[in-house]
Amino acid sequence: MGKKMLNLEEQCKILNLLKSSSEQKSIEETVTDFFTNSKLRHFNVCYSLSLLLQDKMMLSSTERLVAFAILHRSYSSQKSAANPFISFLVNAACDDGAEKYERAFILQLLSSSNSNSSKEFLKQSASDYIKNFDPSSQNFPQREQLQKQYYEKVHPEPYSCLLQNTAVKNLLADPDVPCGCDANSAELDSQPGAKSKLGSGDRDEALSGLIANLSLEGLIPHWIRPVPPRFPVDEELVWLNPDNSHELQWDQGMCADTSRGAAVRDLIAKALKGALAPNQQEQVLVELANDPKLVYHCGLTPRKLPELVENNPLIAVEVLTKLINSPEIAEYFTVLVNMDMSLHSMEVVNRLTTAVELPKEFVRMYITNCISSCENIKDKYMQNRLVRLVCVFLQSLIRNRIIDVKDLFIEVQAFCIEFSRIREAAGLFRLLKTLE
Amino acid sequence: MDSRDSSSPSAPNRDGTAGEDEGVLSVTSALAKDAALSFQCRKFGECVNILAQLKPKKEDDPKVLHNVAITEFLRDGCSDPKRLLVALNNVKKRYEELARACASGEQAESGSNVGNKVTSDSTESSSTTHLFSASNSASTMYTDEFDTSVVSLNIAVIWFHLHEYAKALSVLEPLYQNIEPIDETTALHICLLLLDVVLASCDASKSADVLNYLEKAFGPGTVSQGDNGNILVQQSTNLIGKLSSVPSSSLVSDASASDLAANGSASENPLSRSLSEDPLDEIISSLDIGRQNLSRSAGLTSANDLPRTTVDRFISGVDLKLKLQLYKVRFLLLTRNVKIAKREVKHAMNIARGRDSSMALLLKAQLEYARGNHKKAIKLLMASSNRTDAAMSSMLYNNLGCIHYQLGKYHMSAVFFSKALSNCSTLLKEKPLNLLTFSQDKSLQITYNCGLQYLACGKPTIAARCFQKASFIFYKRPLLWLRLAECCLMAVEKGLVKGSQIPNRLELRVNVIGKGRWRKLLIEDVISRNGLVDSVGKDDWGLGGGGQPMLSLPLARQCLYNALHLLNCSDSSHLDSVLPSNSSLEENESNGGASSKNSNHKNLPGIDSKASTLSVGLVNMNGDLKESKGGTNQEIIQNSISYYEDICRRENQMIKQALLANLAYVELELENPLKALSAARSLLELPGCSRIFIFLGHVYAAEALCLLNKPKEAAEYLSIYLSGGNNVELPFGQEDCEQWRTKKPVDCEESNTGAAAAKNPSPEDLQEFMFLRPEEARGTLYANLAVLYAIQGELDRAHQLATQALSLVPNSSEATMTAIYIDLVLGNMQEALSKLKHCSHVRFLSASLPTNKSS
Repeated sequence: MGKKMLNLEEQCKILNLLKSSSEQKSIEETVTDFFTNSKLRHFNVCYSLSLLLQDKMMLSSTERLVAFAILHRSYSSQKSAANPFISFLVNAACDDGAEKYERAFILQLLSSSNSNSSKEFLKQSASDYIKNFDPSSQNFPQREQLQKQYYEKVHPEPYSCLLQNTAVKNLLADPDVPCGCDANSAELDSQPGAKSKLGSGDRDEALSGLIANLSLEGLIPHWIRPVPPRFPVDEELVWLNPDNSHELQWDQGMCADTSRGAAVRDLIAKALKGALAPNQQEQVLVELANDPKLVYHCGLTPRKLPELVENNPLIAVEVLTKLINSPEIAEYFTVLVNMDMSLHSMEVVNRLTTAVELPKEFVRMYITNCISSCENIKDKYMQNRLVRLVCVFLQSLIRNRIIDVKDLFIEVQAFCIEFSRIREAAGLFRLLKTLE
Repeated sequence: MDSRDSSSPSAPNRDGTAGEDEGVLSVTSALAKDAALSFQCRKFGECVNILAQLKPKKEDDPKVLHNVAITEFLRDGCSDPKRLLVALNNVKKRYEELARACASGEQAESGSNVGNKVTSDSTESSSTTHLFSASNSASTMYTDEFDTSVVSLNIAVIWFHLHEYAKALSVLEPLYQNIEPIDETTALHICLLLLDVVLASCDASKSADVLNYLEKAFGPGTVSQGDNGNILVQQSTNLIGKLSSVPSSSLVSDASASDLAANGSASENPLSRSLSEDPLDEIISSLDIGRQNLSRSAGLTSANDLPRTTVDRFISGVDLKLKLQLYKVRFLLLTRNVKIAKREVKHAMNIARGRDSSMALLLKAQLEYARGNHKKAIKLLMASSNRTDAAMSSMLYNNLGCIHYQLGKYHMSAVFFSKALSNCSTLLKEKPLNLLTFSQDKSLQITYNCGLQYLACGKPTIAARCFQKASFIFYKRPLLWLRLAECCLMAVEKGLVKGSQIPNRLELRVNVIGKGRWRKLLIEDVISRNGLVDSVGKDDWGLGGGGQPMLSLPLARQCLYNALHLLNCSDSSHLDSVLPSNSSLEENESNGGASSKNSNHKNLPGIDSKASTLSVGLVNMNGDLKESKGGTNQEIIQNSISYYEDICRRENQMIKQALLANLAYVELELENPLKALSAARSLLELPGCSRIFIFLGHVYAAEALCLLNKPKEAAEYLSIYLSGGNNVELPFGQEDCEQWRTKKPVDCEESNTGAAAAKNPSPEDLQEFMFLRPEEARGTLYANLAVLYAIQGELDRAHQLATQALSLVPNSSEATMTAIYIDLVLGNMQEALSKLKHCSHVRFLSASLPTNKSS
């Protein structure tokens, strides 16, 4: 399943190579034969061999020598430090547990890349090399010395993941032998023709199996990456209810009379100029009452309101009451607050307070305006009139609980004291005191 | 008003319109009347014929064109709503042209229309008299003449039936903004349709606003009083009082008017009394002018609430009352205010007594469903409906499917959903079609439910196909995209993704090579995640494409980004509206949402003009009884909204957690540790993040850092769970799982719902929540810490942690691999071997020898 390191051709090549190592061909020749096929992926081949070499049992002594030779030879055209297996070779050369001839062989390989040094030792076959090896002829330098000699400068690590870098060989020996048997005993090798014993096995079979299955990736530690939980289904399911049947509407306005409210519009226009006769007034009120939307078509605008208030306060009350839900009502209120104080405007406000809910802010502002109007008026007679009017107005508001006295107490009290000479102001003052 | 609606041509004094031939007018009026009559009798063929006679006489009159369009549409069996839309939009354009032409010609003529008024000496009986002045005022009446409210309403009606709620809303909203001048019948239709639209779009605050307005403008004042049960008595006395005092009013349900009337007449007296005591004659007389008119206070008082006489002709008072009550229940159900909804639905049942109560029953079923009383909900559903009607039975089956899903009976629910779908498809085959058929076709909603059900059953491919279909209506929902991403992840997990090399990621494979003393075990690294990135097509799935979605990790990522984008959009407007709305509204929404966040009492500020004029009335409603009543109602609605907004906000938070966690996971799978890290960090920065997702955030961030070769920083993320040496705490508790599953946070227990209590997780419910148990999460942390220490060379510590991990998550192949790895590095071959052999997820394969076989 994982990525196989070797393709079929490479596998065959390696198996043949290893087989041929026992023949009486020189190492040089074997190695050269191996490299005649240029399609080999050197790294993969070498890595497989290095994995096999790590297992001391897997390869025979001659096979090992050839394998080492390949490891070295694959990269011999470059500096030794560029050989990705240089540390593997150096380590093998320094391995005290290894055979002396093997270590010597590796040392010779390493030194052979130094231009003119002898490559004579490769001219013999691997088995001859072992046979002819003289342990005394070779001295074994220290690891540090070798490292210094062959690593040169440290290469920057190529980027790869830490997890990958720390991979270990994913190959475990799991000898399947009866208890007490020495797994290394050669007796357990299956003999051709002989009945296989418990725990016996064929090395060649294992070898080819290994070569076929080796993978580039080693064993790495594994991070657990939990899958996030699914989002809970709570109100997400769509519950269905029948829809209300909204049907297409006939336009009733088709060919209908379009003169709606013309009379009222005319009357309102008149009402801006002067008081209407009682029957005219009656007509406006009735028509407005009959058609609640008529008020939007009667031609009144906030700008025209003061004239209507002054001339026909009752109609103004009626219109404003009907416009209470209109988006424009705030504008009308603003106009009303800012117009000159008069009996009629006060009457309109008074009636409005009883007919509809007025914004508190509006009422308060209106009262403040009333009071300051009284104070600013120059004509004594007019002032008297206005003060009496305001007093009656305020009493009405207080009695009807339209305003909360507490909100305006100080202001109103000051007003009463200022005009205490006027009877109505005194009355209002008394009313305030009873409420205290 | 009346006159316009009935288009009665009978008034003899209406023929004086200048500039128009008298005869033509009367003929057209008569034809128009006949046409309206046959339309009402649903004789559309006949109606079209009459209109055909009318058409040449009123060339290019948009109102005629309009009526022709809708009548032909109805005659032809509603087959082509899109074409009608085109026709109606043309009518609207025609109106605009006329209005422009008229406005330019207007100035010249202005002022000419003064004079010749008809003084119809109106008495009390004049309420039925039509005052048609003979003035030649056609030009000044253009606002009336060119009133496009009906055509706009019809356009919205069609969009509504086509489930295009956003489009319907964009037509209705401007009408609603300026609803006061629109005539009663049309205005009521507009409001009711708008209410349905905003409810369907789950827009609670707008629903509340429209509902408020409807109750105020059309509703019997008694609707609101149902909120305080004990007011019923007082209310009836109000009614009696009003009946006697306002004889001219035709409606019984005029309570609010009566309040005002009582208020008005009572308050008038003191002023006049005080004035009459006053010696100042002028003051008396002047302030007293209107006194005689006070006897007619009916006219004055009814001005405040709009009269319903005309409205009543198409919908009776009680019917409207029931309708409004049902809307109110729907609003409360939308806002999940279960407790109040229960009370209100009872009220609705009372109103519906002796009438059609099926809708009330259905809502009651929904209520019980929301409360988790599934048995009761089933009973109510079965009682409520006739299953002969395909539309009804389709909904019924769908709702039964929902219930069984909640009961954990996914296969039953699958059966019901597919029945619901098949009923839908028969519905569309029925002839003749009517407009309602389109809106009754809920197949896309049902398909969405199917998607959820398939996802729950572990069928990601078909689930994704359902979600893809449902995306036609739900593409604005972040949740839809999250679900699609979940489909992708599930498909990958199940090895359904094409090219995925992992059939089952929990399996460990070991090649057994050789025999006897030569036997070797080669551990295959099947968990390593590769081959996923390039194995899937890139943008081969588009909305609207007929092909089925290719589930893949890149698609998951795309879906998650869609969802995040949608969520951020709705976050900025603070409302969980499914629909986009026009820009000015969004502005309002954001204002309203933001400022109403901490206010329970305040009226929604700035939602629109309706709300603000309403608040004008409400601000000074503090003192007396009547006002407190209104306030209570207002309070309930306001509380519901803020409660709902709370829910939505919380739900969005949860979705965001899930999205970011999924995104981090997907990026890790796609080997983009940097993006994964940033997603995980965003996840950890979310306020109010669930402990489960804090855990995930830490694990994902640590892994990403690990992949970026920063083991030290990675360790920081994990070590917050370390307490003292090598002891790892539980990253979250069982209660966190339950809380997440039910979406009900602990801290909102005091809020007014019984839902949290009703929804105790049953064991089968918990199955749906497929996630690590707290102990397993702890094991995960142990295992991952072991990895971190292992790659940093602290092998002894790693070994201890790995041992702990294996004791908590013995079935995790990752943890096993890590433990084996550590053993191998430490040289403990025998331990490694025994771990391998004891692992339950390991599969031993005998080595194949391809060399011999195939060469």
